[in-house]
Formats: sequence, C-alpha cells, structure tokens
Amino acid sequence: MKHITKVAFVVLALGASACTNAGRFDNAGGGAGAGAVVPGSVSDPTSPAYFQQTIGDRILFEVDQATLNDAARDVLAQQATWLMANGAFTAIIEGHADEQGTREYNLALGARRASAVQNYLIERGVAASRLRTVSYGKERPIEICSDEACYSLNRRSVTVISAAGLTS
Amino acid sequence: MSLHKILTLGRMLTFVALSGLAGLAPAIAEPLRIEITEGVIEPLPFAVPDFQAQNAAATEMSRNIARVVAADLAGTGLFREIPSTAFISTITNFSSPVQYADWRAINAQALISGAVSVAEDGKLTVGFRVFDIFSQGQLGEGLQLAGSTESWRRIAHKVADAVYSRITGESGYFDSRVVFVNETGPKNARLKRLAIMDYDGANLQFLTDSSTLVLSPRFSPTGDRVLYTSYETGFPQIFLLQIANVGRAALPTPSGNMSFAPRFSPDGNQVVFSLEQGGNTDIYRMDVSGGNPQRLTSAPSIETGPSFSPDGSQIVFTSDRSGSPQLYVMGANGGEAQRISSGPGRYNTPVWSPRGDLIVFTKQNAGRFHIGVMRTDGSEERLLTASFLDEGPTWSPNGRVIMFTRESQGAAGSSALYMVDITGRNLRRVTNQGAASDPSWSPLQ
Amino acid sequence: MKFGLYISGIAHGVLIAWLLFGGLFTSQPKDDLLQVSQVSILSEAQFDALTNTDAEPESIAPEVSPVAPSRPQPPDPVPELETEPETAPADIDRVAPEVAPEPAPEVEIAPVVQEEVATNEVGTETQPEAEAAAPEAATTEIVTEATEVADLAPTTSLRPRARPNRPAPDAEPDPDPAPSETINDAIAEALTNSTSTPTPATAPTGPPLSRGELRGLQVSVGNCWNVGSLSSEAMQTTVVVGVTLSPEAKPEVASIHMVSFTGGSDAAARRAYETARRAIIRCGTSGYNLPSEKYEHWREIEMTFNPENMRIK
Repeated sequence: MKHITKVAFVVLALGASACTNAGRFDNAGGGAGAGAVVPGSVSDPTSPAYFQQTIGDRILFEVDQATLNDAARDVLAQQATWLMANGAFTAIIEGHADEQGTREYNLALGARRASAVQNYLIERGVAASRLRTVSYGKERPIEICSDEACYSLNRRSVTVISAAGLTS
Repeated sequence: MSLHKILTLGRMLTFVALSGLAGLAPAIAEPLRIEITEGVIEPLPFAVPDFQAQNAAATEMSRNIARVVAADLAGTGLFREIPSTAFISTITNFSSPVQYADWRAINAQALISGAVSVAEDGKLTVGFRVFDIFSQGQLGEGLQLAGSTESWRRIAHKVADAVYSRITGESGYFDSRVVFVNETGPKNARLKRLAIMDYDGANLQFLTDSSTLVLSPRFSPTGDRVLYTSYETGFPQIFLLQIANVGRAALPTPSGNMSFAPRFSPDGNQVVFSLEQGGNTDIYRMDVSGGNPQRLTSAPSIETGPSFSPDGSQIVFTSDRSGSPQLYVMGANGGEAQRISSGPGRYNTPVWSPRGDLIVFTKQNAGRFHIGVMRTDGSEERLLTASFLDEGPTWSPNGRVIMFTRESQGAAGSSALYMVDITGRNLRRVTNQGAASDPSWSPLQ
Repeated sequence: MKFGLYISGIAHGVLIAWLLFGGLFTSQPKDDLLQVSQVSILSEAQFDALTNTDAEPESIAPEVSPVAPSRPQPPDPVPELETEPETAPADIDRVAPEVAPEPAPEVEIAPVVQEEVATNEVGTETQPEAEAAAPEAATTEIVTEATEVADLAPTTSLRPRARPNRPAPDAEPDPDPAPSETINDAIAEALTNSTSTPTPATAPTGPPLSRGELRGLQVSVGNCWNVGSLSSEAMQTTVVVGVTLSPEAKPEVASIHMVSFTGGSDAAARRAYETARRAIIRCGTSGYNLPSEKYEHWREIEMTFNPENMRIK
C-alpha cells in the first residue's frame, strides 16, 4: 500500500519530463533505472510499470550474440501482447553490450541485439511504426563490476515504453 | 624509464672484410674496411641550458621555454636530459662559441642553446641552435621563431620539433593537439564531453558540455574540424564540429538508425563511417557536405571502424564476417576485401599510420586487450601494450608514437590516455585533467 | 529509507541539471602568430623581410562562448607540463613476451665463435669472404665458446661459417701493446701525414690486423654507436664512413666523411652518418686500442654502419 504511494509520489516528483526516453541516459541522474512510468501501478496491467516489472522489460544475451533464447522469446511474447493491448504506447528498444569489447564494435553489437528484439516484436504483431531501436554499446552498464556476473546483466536489451510518439 | 640497452656487443659482428691485399707492397693504398652491425639503443643525452633572455621582459619566458623543449625531447624516450646541476659551463651569450670540452665532459651529445626576447608589443622572438658536441659542429642552421607571448608553448614545441627532426631525421610531433572525451561520474552514470588539449596535456579546453553522450572524436587532416558521434538527438549520430567557433552540425548521412565511427579522408573532403540499418552495420563514404553517399560494404555482418590509407586509395576496417572481428583492407570504393589479421583473438579499431607502412589496432585475446601494429598486409604483427582494457589508438603526426585509452578494472574503473613508442618502449600516461578516452591526434600545426 | 533515497535522487537530479545547464565552454585560440626564419644565415634585411611577411597565420584568438549558459564549475586548470610524471609505476603492463626486443640471435652466434678462434691466429687478412662458410661445428674451440653463448645457443640456428685450411700462421706473437719504440716513427708519420699522402717508408706497417684486433675495434665503435634516436628510415640506411686515425689511434675529426650510403634518402643518410660520426669520435676520444706497429694498416679506415640487425622487426 505504502509502496504504491511512494511510487506515485516519485512519478509525480520526477515529472513528465522522464517520458522522453530516447535520451533517458543523457542526464546522468535520471539514468539509473528509476524507469519512466505514467500514473498507474505495477498492479495495473495497462501501466508501463506493469510492463517493466511484471512482464520484464529486459532480456539478456550471450557473449557476442544477438540471438534470442527461449526465456527471451517468452518475455518478448508477453511484451508483444502488452504492446498490442495498449496501443497508445510506443517503445524504444535499447541494445547494450558489456565492457569487453571496443567502443564502436559494441555499438554495432548493441544495435544488432536491439534489432533482434524489434524484429521479434514485429513478428508477434506489433506495428513496426511503434518501435524504434537505439544502441548504447558499452556506454551504459547497469552493473559495474568487471566480472561475468555483471557482464551477463549488461549484455541486454531494454524495451522502454513511452506514451510519447516516436519522433524522427 | 623503459629504454633499455638492447644488446651487448659480446656477440656478433659479421665478417670483417679486409682490404689491402697481403703481401703487396708496403704502401697500403686501400683503407681498412670494417663493418659495424651492432650498436646500442639508448636515449641520447642532451643539455638545454635556460635560454638567454635578451631583455628583462623575457627572463621568465626564457626559462619556461627551455623547460618545455627539454620535456618534449625527454618525453619521447629517445633523449635523456642532463640536469643543469651537472653543467660545467653554461651558455652566457647566445653568440659566443660553445665550450665543447665542457659539454663533452658531462657526455652531453647534443646541446640546445637559445635566446628569447619579448618586444614591447608583446611579440615573442625565440632563436635557437643545436650543437653536436662530439662532432663540434652545429646541427643545421640556427632558427628563429616569432609569435605572441600567449603562444609561447607552441613556439617551444616548434623549437623541440626542429631539434627532434635534426637529430632523428624525422619530423616531430610536439606542436600538435589531441581531441578526446573527458569523463566524469561513476561507471553507470558517466558523463562525457569533448575536450581538446596540447599533445602534452597543457591548455585543456572543452568543446561540448556533458548533457549529451559523445564518443570517438576524430581530427580532420587540417586540424580545424572534428567528427564525433553524439546522442544529441537521442540516437547516435555523427556531428561535425568547427574548433575555431565550436559550431557543430549533424552530418547529413543517409537515413539509418545510427551513424558512427567516422573518419576523414586524407584530403579532408570526405568522410568514411558506419551506418546501421535494421541491426546491420555497414561502411559508407560521402562528401563532408553530405554529397555523393556511397555504400562500400553490404554484408549482413558488422563492418565498422574504417580508416583511409594516407594516399586515400584504400580503407582498412573491422568486420566480423568470419565470426569474430578481424581486420580487412578494401579499395576506397569498396569491392573485394582482403583479410589481413591472422592471429588468435579479436581485432578492432584499425588506423592506418600517416607514413602508410603500418596499421595500429586493438586486439582482444585471452581476457586481455592490446594495442599492436602490423604491416599493411597483416605481416609482422607486434603487440605494444597489454592491460585489462586498452583501445582506440591514434597516431602521432609523424607516425612514431601511439596514444590510446587505457581503462582500469572494476567498479571504480576509469579511463586515462597513454602514449607508447612504436617500438613498444616508453609507455607513459598523458597528463590531463580527469579521466579521458578516445584520443585523436591532430596533424602537426 | 526508500523515501530518503527518492528525496536524495531528486536533489541530485536538480543539482545535476543545474550543473548541466550551466555549461561553460571555451575554445582554444587557434593559430597563434608563428613565423619561422633562419637565424644564422640571414642578413638583417633578409630577416626583416621574413619576419614582416604577411604570410603569417591569422590569429584566431577570441574566446568563444557557445550557446550554452555559463556553468558554475570553474574550468579545469591547465596541467603543468613539468609535473608530468614519467610513467613507469607498477600498474603499467608491459607486454614483455610479445614486445620482446631481445635481438634475434641467429646471426650473432657464429661470429663469436669465429672471433674466439681468430684471436689466436694471424694471417686473417688474406681470407676472402667466401671462407666464412664452414659449419660452426668445424671450429675446434666449441667448448670454450659454450660458456659465453650458452644462453643463446639452444634456440638458435647458426649461420654456417667456413673455415679454410689455414696456411701456416706467420707465427706472429701478440702485438706489442706498448709501442714505445715506434713513437718516433709515429710522430714522423703524423707530421708527414698531415699534409700529404702517407710515406710508407717511414710508417710502421707490420703485419695486418688480427681478427681479435679488428673485432676489438668493431666493439669499441659499436659501443658508442647509439641508434636509439634515429628515425625508422635512418635505421634502414647503411652508411660507409671514412676516417683517418692519428698514430695514437684517435680519429681526426676533420677527416671523417661519408663515403657512400644505401637504403634511404639523403636526409636519412645524413642522420645515420651523424650518428656514426658521433660514435667514431666519442669512443675514440682516448684512442682506439690498435697496435701502433701496424699503423699503416689502420690509419685509413672505412667503417660500414649497418643497422639492419638493430631494427625492430
């Protein structure tokens, strides 16, 4: 109960500006994954919070790979279902890599991962016009140790839901 | 100091040919002929006394300029400065004869003497001479440089460049700058901004603020513009920045999700870069103005990190078409590409040397990163460094030194710029403010 | 707890935003005024002409303040060049195995063998180059050699070396290193030599130099032949340098000249020559160790400086 209040409070406090998610890493303070949510709680199946936390907004990849394993497909299938049920939302799919690679190659690798996710969502029926990809390469790790424990979590894609339309 | 005497003379020396046939007349017309094949490799000892102040206004500057010259030379690892405390005599008059014996006694092999004057209008004039102590002569003619007092460091670098060139026979790299990415903040919320500094870390300035993630700046061959990748629009895109006024504009690339990994052509009129569409990254080339875009690769694999040969006829790049990133060379218009990397591991970020004979690259193998060089056909690979993470090499304007990013391991890991000689000697950190990555060296100015 | 975090987060966000939107950048004054001119070879007038030329680059000095508002942080101070640390702390990894500048020993073993053998022999002068083809095994002094080259030997393939059947040695004892008797001759020689061609009659000729003596000279010059500051092009240039030695076996500086060069440009050869000249002078300061009774054999020397083996490959 209290939890929900807090979430709501944070949402209000951070304000609607958090919704422009393509650049959600751009100002460092906002980047750590507070997530962009619109009013609506985790328990509200139509809310981005539900998408992010109950369905799961991220999937993980093997070293150097952009292939989707069964667990990833399962999550993505649910993401597709949610996106089709909530047509007002668009999504930006972020592709990330771990730090074991050069900057530019990892940028390309992140793009490959994001694209794999995008293609799968389109296969599952989501309109291509509602999806966009962006790669961050190794620039935005969520875990910062230099071990496989962290690397495995950083090799990820994150489907970021936004109420705003996609631009450009 | 990593310069070590490579070899000893205890073994060696190929055949000694003697002339002067034995048994002939006592008159020996032919000289004795010997061949010397083994010497030593060690820094050349030099002395730089404070330059002579020609007027009171030049007093401080004369000392400072000598210090910068000495630091430039010693920093190469090819030279070793003899401290002034060892001097027997010093230079008291720029024009008076050099006391060779005094310098020989302290084993100074090169002596740089200079004179500095500052005019009332602030114009700085520096003259200098280089002496070969053991040959008791001047190396080249004396030179004089003039500029504003604010530019005293550049003048000092130019003096050092001239000295370097006279002794080594190749051009220097001291009067040059480096554009790079300045980094602040923790690893998971890092702030990046473009910065520029003199090659030695002096005169640090920022070219962008930290509000937008920026990556991999690349100097133009004329040193006046920088290409870099920015998330200014929310998506990675190549921008062109004019250093003089910090004006910037997105490069009008063909449409795609993201454009990155730009480099100028040797004439500065074109740019070669990576463009990603639908998850596939390929290499394109176009005029800096945006005209004549041309797709150079069209494989489903990742093709990135393109770099022109200095004559503009070829491009080296990275591709993972074989299953892992390897280096390939193709013509400047694309077409068939030859793989040149052949060792174990993953090869990335190739950069053609300004001399044209070598390609520097990042190699990832067995959990370590290396900066290495190979000939342009992939032969004679030599690794120069090793660490948890080395990457992103850039050549000094004379092709003798490589600067690169070294990142330390762990949650508190941060980046710094390092330099290493192409021989693998003289690895050292570049002094600058804060963490830094992605250096790109300007041409000699 | 969590609430505190949120507050902190917001506060930080505000702080960071404030920092971010306060951007201050400056731009580097681009081209400063810089002119270059020769000091010593210019007349006053020429110099003025040079320095007054309007070819000097325009100075673009204005501080540029791009659109971003000024930021509260002061710009980072400019680092002092002089304080730049020599980097060599332990945290720097060197790739010893790969970089390994250990010289390829391949070409170096045989000469040692040869040299050791030769020191006890004379008459080497007559051996043409072709002799040097006998396999290393042909030498009889392997045992004494082994100690010297033991560390190199196992990984090394030896260059075949020929050793001819030697003629009966000219039973020459070790050259007398104390040339006291020859001083007068030497002086006379020096006197005549300074201005004219040698007069063989007065100069000591003696037998040709032994291998040991030659090798000693090679080592002496090589000790001072520092190629560490040569460009890679100059490192591919072989220069032949001629020098006249005084009877005291000191190089006459004025006599040093480049005879020829191969493998590089004029400029590269010039640098290579300067390095060779420096070597000859530096290590000859107190005279090379050469037998004075053989002065005629070593008064004129042509030294070929071949850096091929010194190059990084």
